[in-house]
Amino acid sequence: MALPLEIPPRARSAMSTSKASPMYNLRSSIASTGSTTSLTSLFAGTGASLPRDIVDDIKSVIHHAFVPHIAVHVSDDVDEVVREKGLPDFYQLIRPYGEKVQGRITARDSQGSSVPFEDFAVRFVRLSDVVQKPERKGNTSGNTSRNGDYGGTNAAIPEAINSEELPLADELLDLHLSHAEELIDTNLATETESHTGQAFYLLYLRKILSGFPVTPHETWAHPVACLIAISSRNTTPIDTLRQLYKSGSEVNVPGYVNKEYLRYYVLVHDEDKDDIVKSAALFEQMKRHFGLHCHLIRLRSTTCIVSDEDSVPVAKSQWLPASEELADLHAHQEEDIESDTSSRFIHGSDEAAIKTMVREMVAQSVIPFMERNIASWNDQILSRRKGIGGRVLSFSRRFLGSTGTRSTSSSATASNFDSATNSYDPMTPEAQMRKLADWSFMLRDWKLAYDVYNTIRTDFNNDKAWLHVAGAQEMTIISLLLTGQPITPKIRADTIDVYLDAACYSYVTRFRAIYAALRCLLVTVELLRLAGGSSAELAAKWAIKALDLNMRPTVGRALISQRVGDCYAVRQGAGSGGWGGRRRKAAMWHVLAAETWIRLGKFAQARHCIDVALPKYVNTEFVLIRRFVEQMKLDSGYVNLLDLKIDTGVGGTGGEVVEVENGDEEDVLEDEDSGVEKPRFDGKRRSILIPQTPNGDAPGIMTMDESPGTNGPL
Amino acid sequence: MAGSSTSYYFVIIGTKDNPLYEAEFGSFKQGGDGIAKFREEQRHMNQFIAHSSLDCIEDQQWASKEMYLKTVDKFNNTWVSCFLTGGNIKFLLVHDTRSDEPIRQFFADVYDLYCKTLMNPFYEVNMAIRSQTFDQKIKAAAKKYL
Repeated sequence: MALPLEIPPRARSAMSTSKASPMYNLRSSIASTGSTTSLTSLFAGTGASLPRDIVDDIKSVIHHAFVPHIAVHVSDDVDEVVREKGLPDFYQLIRPYGEKVQGRITARDSQGSSVPFEDFAVRFVRLSDVVQKPERKGNTSGNTSRNGDYGGTNAAIPEAINSEELPLADELLDLHLSHAEELIDTNLATETESHTGQAFYLLYLRKILSGFPVTPHETWAHPVACLIAISSRNTTPIDTLRQLYKSGSEVNVPGYVNKEYLRYYVLVHDEDKDDIVKSAALFEQMKRHFGLHCHLIRLRSTTCIVSDEDSVPVAKSQWLPASEELADLHAHQEEDIESDTSSRFIHGSDEAAIKTMVREMVAQSVIPFMERNIASWNDQILSRRKGIGGRVLSFSRRFLGSTGTRSTSSSATASNFDSATNSYDPMTPEAQMRKLADWSFMLRDWKLAYDVYNTIRTDFNNDKAWLHVAGAQEMTIISLLLTGQPITPKIRADTIDVYLDAACYSYVTRFRAIYAALRCLLVTVELLRLAGGSSAELAAKWAIKALDLNMRPTVGRALISQRVGDCYAVRQGAGSGGWGGRRRKAAMWHVLAAETWIRLGKFAQARHCIDVALPKYVNTEFVLIRRFVEQMKLDSGYVNLLDLKIDTGVGGTGGEVVEVENGDEEDVLEDEDSGVEKPRFDGKRRSILIPQTPNGDAPGIMTMDESPGTNGPL
Repeated sequence: MAGSSTSYYFVIIGTKDNPLYEAEFGSFKQGGDGIAKFREEQRHMNQFIAHSSLDCIEDQQWASKEMYLKTVDKFNNTWVSCFLTGGNIKFLLVHDTRSDEPIRQFFADVYDLYCKTLMNPFYEVNMAIRSQTFDQKIKAAAKKYL
């Protein structure tokens, strides 16, 4: 991602509202090549001028989406200790701290050099969450076996693939947006970037990426490690640990999930009631029995209230799946606020202890474990597969196998693919390679991941494991984009376009896996958008494709259409005329998004979109466009100080920013308060627009939180 | 859009993104009556689509030697074809079926008509074209080719 360095960091001033439309004011300066033949390539090279912190935001969302999952399996007495603290259970207590592992974590990549991560994360899941879905899957495969005559291989698709999070994410965003609208309506919050711009889109993206289903074709949600915990209250600690290990291994994990994950043993010491000497002795015993992957954590079991000396609020999980957050919000509405807040504090010492535990577990156990496995798989499987011997072997096996089976029956192919469950056994080379790729992806070794995805794609293709092919295609693109190598038109046309198209086709047509398709598209779109230039245009193209997945006018759809506009906006033109830019397209998509927002009743969002689009249309001579935009402005309660300005005759020449004096503001506010019939949208947002000069140059937008508006012509 | 017969939206756009002349007409082929059957919400979309396709035209005008740029843009199920004159005046046709050749012939006729308009001493570049004759002749050309 070549980012021009001359772009200053986004300034958070009043003027910076126009950064919502970076296309209009952040022109990349382009060195002219001086030859007309390279005009098109000149256009292709423009853009890539997103402010750096936006880039970081999006990248960190994507980095944090694909992280190791760690299952949590604890004894009842641990949950009891935590419940005395006023929290539901141990899992809920530690989960937020997995989202940002304290300090710097280093991992070695395939070249042997260590790479430091400042923001490494892991995701804690309940062990039962890994289990539940396969039960449902069991039902569906039962169904398909009953009417398997016409089902074929593709019928055995686990239901889990279609995460039910999707409509929930829509619903949640709807709730959030309504809340934001309310705040704006009551003037509690100013209508700032945080309420309108891309904040909601990022939230939507995060919700989509936060609940990965457990599926056979990818191993993101398969546990990398399992945290087994007991407390010092336990009377038979070692036996309980053994039992937990056993029950953890025996739970009905789907066949395609590898059970050879790391076990991490934790002893929870109750600081307030138990003796540390005894616990320390027990911990020594644990280490003897279970090796080095042990940790002693000292927690206080008393409830912590706000007034306590070292109380800290419980960190809030950023990566709650939409379903949980919805349930949470609904619960809060009913609950008394008072009782709710009091339970949300823990002792500072507890927080430090949990952070240390997570850090130690990740840095000393999980990452080395992953590195070891990656190295050994890389050695044993990938090199063998890639070497000449492996090729001959696999070819002859395939050749002989296929001739052999043709005469017998189609069920006994030589491939390791089990078409009945649509999965590979975790011990097969194919499954292990996918795991190798996923794990190196988690450790952000994009290059290795890209190589491996590339290799297994052909394997899956030979086995006709379409779901796996689609998954590998998806990840090939994503890891390719993350490697940061320049995206040439050839890569765009031959790799990205082809694979994305094929992956979407597989997901949507073969498996009706809308969730998987949407995830694939949205992540790719974001990465392409970051690449800028003509990649951003490709991003817009695929974002439009993502729109087709969901025809109902939901919040998600509106957010995505707005994103299409943003994608186009990234592509900037060359020179003062902005040749080769996509400003008109961006404006059109923002208008379309505004239309959807209005239909959904989210007027603040609509106003924001209109704000971004308006400079392009403010002087247009297209009658219908003008009429339509005017109508939308009315519908959304958009007030435009341009009209005011023209009336008062200020700034008639255009091109300069007009400052509106705030002197009369208080009077106006009083008027508003005393006014009996206050129009609904008044007092929310006023914009000052600089009229667009005829050649389309540099319009800017300035918004003010509060300004005289009741007198304005509306 | 309109059931069986296709509808067209034709616009001439000046150098400052300003429309000089607009027309909507339907196909006369397959028993069409030549009347555009755009739904109300499609009519403003046509303008949006035409306007936004200018971005693509600015890209493609350098790549082609021809004045007829063929299909330059696509939005859902509508295509935009473009003919670019030497004076950077764009003829845009928004249509929902692909047929390059008739559109090329249509544009050629329109170009003739436009040149004749330019010869008018009272007409200047970028002025809206309000001539009745021009309108009738465009409609006739549409009837002939589209």
